Amino acid sequence: MSLSPTPLTPEIVSHEGNAMVLSMGPQHPSTHGVLQIMLEIEGESVIKAEPEIGYLHTGIEKNMENLFWSHGQTNAERMDYLAPSSNALCYVLAVEQLLGITGEIPERAKHIRVLNAELTRIASHCVWLGTHAIDLGAISVFFYCFDLRENILDLQEAAGGARMHPNYLRVGGVNGDLPAGYLERVDALISKFPGRMKELRGLLQANPIFQDRTIDVGILSADEATQWGVTGPALRGSGVAYDVRKAFPYSGYEQYTFDVPTRTEGDAYARFLVRLDEMEESIKIVAQAREKLRTAGPYAIDDPKIFAPPKETIALSMEALIHHFKIVSESFRVPPGDVYQSVEGPRGELGYYIVSNGENRPYRVRTRPASLYNLQALKGIAPGNLIADLVVMIGSLDPVFGEVDR
Amino acid sequence: MPSTQTPPIAGTAIDPPGVRPAIDDAAIEVVTPQTLHARCEALRAGGYAMLLDLGAVDYLGREPRFEVVYHLLKMPNLRVRLRCGVKDGEHVPTVSDIWKNADWAEREVFDLFGIVFDGHPDLRRIQMPHDWEGHPLRKDYPLRGPARERSPRPAFGLKSNVQAGTPPTGRTLEALQEQVKKAREQ
Repeated sequence: MSLSPTPLTPEIVSHEGNAMVLSMGPQHPSTHGVLQIMLEIEGESVIKAEPEIGYLHTGIEKNMENLFWSHGQTNAERMDYLAPSSNALCYVLAVEQLLGITGEIPERAKHIRVLNAELTRIASHCVWLGTHAIDLGAISVFFYCFDLRENILDLQEAAGGARMHPNYLRVGGVNGDLPAGYLERVDALISKFPGRMKELRGLLQANPIFQDRTIDVGILSADEATQWGVTGPALRGSGVAYDVRKAFPYSGYEQYTFDVPTRTEGDAYARFLVRLDEMEESIKIVAQAREKLRTAGPYAIDDPKIFAPPKETIALSMEALIHHFKIVSESFRVPPGDVYQSVEGPRGELGYYIVSNGENRPYRVRTRPASLYNLQALKGIAPGNLIADLVVMIGSLDPVFGEVDR
Repeated sequence: MPSTQTPPIAGTAIDPPGVRPAIDDAAIEVVTPQTLHARCEALRAGGYAMLLDLGAVDYLGREPRFEVVYHLLKMPNLRVRLRCGVKDGEHVPTVSDIWKNADWAEREVFDLFGIVFDGHPDLRRIQMPHDWEGHPLRKDYPLRGPARERSPRPAFGLKSNVQAGTPPTGRTLEALQEQVKKAREQ
């Protein structure tokens, strides 16, 4: 194009007077991955902050255009690597909309999906809380959080076979029924959870150092948050009760009773409280899903052209073998069209805009990355604050760079 | 190896009704780069306070070639999707003066598709390196680069270290065996 590329130098931030330009990151420990922020500072006060992203850009969207539909959720899970099941859920829901099979998904599959999405939300918030606390100098919280997260990763491993990226959700259902003893382990988690939350709250919520560092820091008004496209706990911390699970219910969320916690202060402490409350709401949903899963039933649609028959059957049935071979070797075809599907991920509204041209791979997959828009709000809230507070703000916005850069 | 996919719909229309299954995800409007900004201002005044997302699609082989897609949200649960067909080389007015978060989204579309947004305050690459050539999400962008020579790598093997002049340790096999023997005797 006609625009000449701008070299990445400190001059990209215009500065006058006594201001100094400081590059924070991309290897700074508090930037949660690979975020660089070009800061214009005067003394310790930030005048202007310009985040530079793209250090983790791996072209996942381009990759997905060239892979089968059935490979999509595997890639989607790699974007927001702390909440794999939320990403996979959004992708499979979008593809199911295009296939026109949304109404045919069995109830059991829906509840298993909800169970997984909520467990992954708790696990993701655990990582957020642990690292946020470490940024503020409280090391021990991290171990409490990761202990809780470990239980959830074990559950993911039991269901999907892998801890970080279970790839358990599939277009048409889930990959196999829950293993024996799984629900009892969920019960154990549910009974352990209140005690753990009490400990976590006890470590931080009334901690004067934590309160000093977070109260009135990074205030985002409701209007400003909307302007920046901020969603999720960051938006609800500013007093806007927008939750995709309530606004556009998906995967049977309308059958669950849960509250949408909001705060009106809009500061880092409010976002902290909203996330803690949200974890407690999530475990309520997990308990409800667990009750709904008492009754057995099919875990995937009965359409061998979309959902491959179980591997065990291919030695017994010629049709099963053929269907299995077709799905593995050339996936399924999706009718032409486009769809926007969103879910409430741990970081906010996670969306997929998918265009199909009728082939066995997507024509275009555009992600709406919640982290990208949440992080962008840093440009609005950073000026006028101290550099030390910037660390708190990044932590409270909870960006995941796999999703920001894709 | 360039992408070999065919565009979804043959012909010139952006979205002929009927090709799309009945999905109730948003109200769809078709706009042009000329009418886009005024329509966005009207929608913003009508309560569509949040720009959920802004992305682009490259329908190579179709006119107009690109489509910039805007997803708007009116709280609590109304969504509108604006589809703006853009010819190759045509500019699109920025909406970053209406919604602040269009800033990075438009930069990303510029970076990955090469669509220029007029009036954008800071239009430069965001995901790709600043000196990158080409726009990777275009359908005619090659999936593989030209074959390149392997860059020379530093040698880590013991043999290479000796060749590079690393001083020998002076520990021979016999000396080691002697050492082990002594240790056993003690």
